[in-house]
Amino acid sequence: MLVPLVIFLLAGMSFVSESFAETLYVKKSGTKLQASDSAKSKVIAKLSQGTPVKVLKKSKKFYQVSASGGNKGWVFKFKLTSKPPANFGGGGDVLGALGGRQKIAARESSSGSSIRGLSPISEKHAKNKGISEEEIQAVKQMETFRIHPQEMDKFLKEGRLGEYSQ
Amino acid sequence: MKKIILILALAFLSLVLAQSSYSFKLDDLLETLEKPKPKSQPSKQEAPKQEAPKEQPAQQGGGGLIGLGESLGVFDKKTSRILKKSVGAVQAFQPIGLEEEKAIGGSLALEVFHKFGGMYKNAALQTYVSLVGKSVAEVSDRPEIDYHFAVLNTDHPNAFATPGGYVFVSVGLLRMVQNEAQLAGVLGHEIAHITRKHALETLQRSKLLSGLNGLTMAAMNKDEGLFDQVIDEVSNVLFTRGLDKNLEHEADKFGTEYAYRMGYHPAGLNNFIQILGKSSSQGSSIFLSTHPGPQARLQTLGRFLPRYKAVGLYPILANRYRTTVKGQL
Repeated sequence: MLVPLVIFLLAGMSFVSESFAETLYVKKSGTKLQASDSAKSKVIAKLSQGTPVKVLKKSKKFYQVSASGGNKGWVFKFKLTSKPPANFGGGGDVLGALGGRQKIAARESSSGSSIRGLSPISEKHAKNKGISEEEIQAVKQMETFRIHPQEMDKFLKEGRLGEYSQ
Repeated sequence: MKKIILILALAFLSLVLAQSSYSFKLDDLLETLEKPKPKSQPSKQEAPKQEAPKEQPAQQGGGGLIGLGESLGVFDKKTSRILKKSVGAVQAFQPIGLEEEKAIGGSLALEVFHKFGGMYKNAALQTYVSLVGKSVAEVSDRPEIDYHFAVLNTDHPNAFATPGGYVFVSVGLLRMVQNEAQLAGVLGHEIAHITRKHALETLQRSKLLSGLNGLTMAAMNKDEGLFDQVIDEVSNVLFTRGLDKNLEHEADKFGTEYAYRMGYHPAGLNNFIQILGKSSSQGSSIFLSTHPGPQARLQTLGRFLPRYKAVGLYPILANRYRTTVKGQL
């Protein structure tokens, strides 16, 4: 009598523990899921923006998480947020139809990297305002300037910053 | 036997309650420790966004039934505009989309180069500023957009941010900065203006857009005068009048927080404002002239910084700053 009851209660405790685990969300696509709470550990997977993860354990600046698909690993805690992904629900309304509301929530969500370069309207405006070609090229240079991920990693490691900080 | 069952049931119940309160407290902790929320500004929902849905096709004539009426000749342009303004007065202003934000920010970036000395062409310096800036932006509340960094060829100590991710610091400012933590704090302040959309929200509240329910590429492409007016309005705010002082204090706090998250000593921005406040060139700095006075900023940061405990060993990276930057100026 007593043994089945204890098993039942232990199973219940496990269920409760799982269901009350804190849920956080990945801020940016490409976030590393690592084998341990160290920036030097193996990268198990790269997580997509908005992925919900359950926090299992906390150690230093890393959280051990369980991601959808059963992936378990460690993430630098500042790459996670408690804010759930934005709800892009459309749902028409009369005022929206009258005024031509254009699902701006969806446009807001466009990935930063999906919109590149100085827009034609900005270039046209610049020429009308007497902004020189050199200045237009300066903004374009700024937009195309890239930092290689390995260079960033070396910079963080040497400075003991980010995932490498104590 | 009954006693044992009762004890186990009570233990189970207490565990459920304990778990529930644990979960609640963790959420609170994240809010208070990692997301400072200045009292002066309403908090915003900076939620991470799911993978980008495709852009909605631009609609002609502003879209909707009024736009349709205009294209079918039911309303003339004037009537259509009056109707849209009336509807806009009832509707809340829709957030400005990323494409529009980048168009506005790109035009303002051009103005920054035009008005403040042009680009300081030095690849090593641009790389270093970009490394510091991009690392700080990665732990901000809006890491999903691209951030672009450049150095301005002027001796005046200046720093700017324009919507869409454009950030500038001047040669004059880099000469005054003493270490990497201070630079991270300054860049964090500028990045915070972008993550918190300060310029865009100021634009939305301006008379220029009063009565409208949104600002779209379609509307700006159709009416070039509207785009010119938008750029003039934001340019005036950023480079002459300055943002609301509460937004500057907010940017100081968030900028400090972002630098701290990356692992820099959180006093970096505070220490740089002290240096700038004592400098004889402070009058020529937009970073000061369009901002609240150094004393007010230091007071606000002074009340904010004690939240960061046990940061004595957080690096300021003075040597790396000196060896990387000083030889390039």
